Amino acid sequence: MLKLIKTMDFKTICFCLFFILFSLIITLLSDLIFGSISTSFVKVLGKTLMLCLAAIALDLVWGYCGILSLGHFAFFALGGYLIGMWLMYERTKEIIIQAFAEQLLPPTPSEIKEAIGIQIFGVVGGSEIPSIWIFADYLFIHLFLIIFIPGLLALIFGWLAFRSRVTGVYLSILTQAMTLALSLYLLQNDSGLRGNNGLSGLQNIPGFTSFPQSMVSILFLWASTLALILGFIIATFITKSKLGKLIQGIRDDEDRIRFLGYNVETYKLFVFVISAIMAAIAGALYYPQAGIVNPTELAPIASIYLAVWVSIGGRGKLIGAVIGAAFVSLISSFFTSGQIPDLNLGFIIISWVDWWLIILGLSFVIVTLFTPGGLISAFENIYKRSFGR
Amino acid sequence: MSDILEVRGISVSFDGFKAINNLSFSIGQNELRAIIGPNGAGKTTLMDIITGKTKPDIGDIRWGKNNISLIKKSETQIAQLGVGRKFQKPTVLEYQTVEENLMISLKNSRGFIQTLIYKYTEEEFTRVNEVAKLIKLNKILNKIAGELSHGQKQWLEIGMLLAQDPSLLLVDEPAAGMTNSERTDTATLLKELSKTRSVVVVEHDMDFIRQLNCKVTVLHEGSVLAEGNLDHVSKDNKVIEVYLGR
Repeated sequence: MLKLIKTMDFKTICFCLFFILFSLIITLLSDLIFGSISTSFVKVLGKTLMLCLAAIALDLVWGYCGILSLGHFAFFALGGYLIGMWLMYERTKEIIIQAFAEQLLPPTPSEIKEAIGIQIFGVVGGSEIPSIWIFADYLFIHLFLIIFIPGLLALIFGWLAFRSRVTGVYLSILTQAMTLALSLYLLQNDSGLRGNNGLSGLQNIPGFTSFPQSMVSILFLWASTLALILGFIIATFITKSKLGKLIQGIRDDEDRIRFLGYNVETYKLFVFVISAIMAAIAGALYYPQAGIVNPTELAPIASIYLAVWVSIGGRGKLIGAVIGAAFVSLISSFFTSGQIPDLNLGFIIISWVDWWLIILGLSFVIVTLFTPGGLISAFENIYKRSFGR
Repeated sequence: MSDILEVRGISVSFDGFKAINNLSFSIGQNELRAIIGPNGAGKTTLMDIITGKTKPDIGDIRWGKNNISLIKKSETQIAQLGVGRKFQKPTVLEYQTVEENLMISLKNSRGFIQTLIYKYTEEEFTRVNEVAKLIKLNKILNKIAGELSHGQKQWLEIGMLLAQDPSLLLVDEPAAGMTNSERTDTATLLKELSKTRSVVVVEHDMDFIRQLNCKVTVLHEGSVLAEGNLDHVSKDNKVIEVYLGR
């Protein structure tokens, strides 16, 4: 038993070291030092790390607890919106104060507010700052809200769903409905979050405007690495605890756990809320690197992709989820970037942007058929075959 | 002998079909009881009602010395009061090892914060080993439960209930899918268990009931048809008519 714990710790340490080393190398290669890779690529890598964290979050509820949530991007994007509100407000405020500085009379607070309102909401035909932006001036409140609001949404949704004993595919459909409903709501111009324009200019960090983007991207890369490592450690801790065994028991046989005297609904709710919070934190670090968050991010398909990544990587294993999200999302952005020339086979022209989805679908089918445990279990089997005996 | 469980005139119907009809009976402290009856007699429904899975339309169920009513309690609360249940189909955690299955069943904290930081004690490891020995799985503690034979799964589930240490054990068809020698062992085990707790066995198999050598309750169409030892009930005309004679 002790031996097992030691090897587990070893795995976690390896994971941490790998990502720290990775970020170090990227930092060295970035525009800041050697300049071998572009700032935008650093951002892609930073974003990928946060998709990995979202994948860990999904793996926790799906791979371990058996709740296939197809709405995790709702939490992810909510995290983005919540940090985005502060970023956009503060940034706009800075610009407006600068603009007013050229005038003789210093502006009154209400004048500044009015100008901010016009600047941000002019695009949806408004000028009033909606009441949900009341805390947009306070970073710490918004940092708290990143945890609180997605957590609360997960709590209410989960409580209603689990209490009524909705399980399996019905629950998945409900989560899809949740993310779709939220997405449709945010699409409205009077939702107070700029409708389909979403929040933009998030890459400009207030207070850091004198910093070049190459620097900002590296800062976010490190923040993302830290968040991913922390998320991994917390998830490992949860899955290795007695609670971790319990939620796996719930996945395998809910009734058995219930009749052993455990309150199944409480456990499900706990895991679901923790997972939603992890996804929200991932989103809060993702969108400043992406620069924009809008309602299409919450489209049901996004959450389905997340589930596909996790299952290609290997659900029920945290590293599997990370591998799946990293590889598939990187390859995906490679194929859909339009940088690869079309392949002319004579009778058909393969344009990778379109064909990528077919490749993804095929690889999903192949993984499901031949290695249901995902890439990670395929690696493990190869490893066992070569060194096991 | 004071009663640990008293079922008072419960009825339940599903879409107009009366599965349980004004049924009353009681189980004494440390009693071994067999419940038999033809298909559809309401045996499993009765178990569902006692464990809180199904709520009766009328009637009451009283538990323990303090006569607590179980009617309003959830499955979890009833299990925590000390009712253990073995399902008809062996229900174990298929992807976890025998040891993990037993560890999870041990009687300790059930709150989620406690389970998050829970550390198993030496005594608990010893207890798991004892239980494993009793159910003859101590040599394969690290085997995944899904790889066990049908009979071994049945035993593992009984072992999980033992680890849970309930005062009343409800066992639904424990001998199903077992070889003859396994049946004998199971009967011996259940008799042994009934020395320290009450055990209720629902079973079809007459030979198995005979081996248990205990009081038998015959159910028919949702109510008690006859009660007594096996020889007594098997001479009862009504019982012969509806069940044994066919």
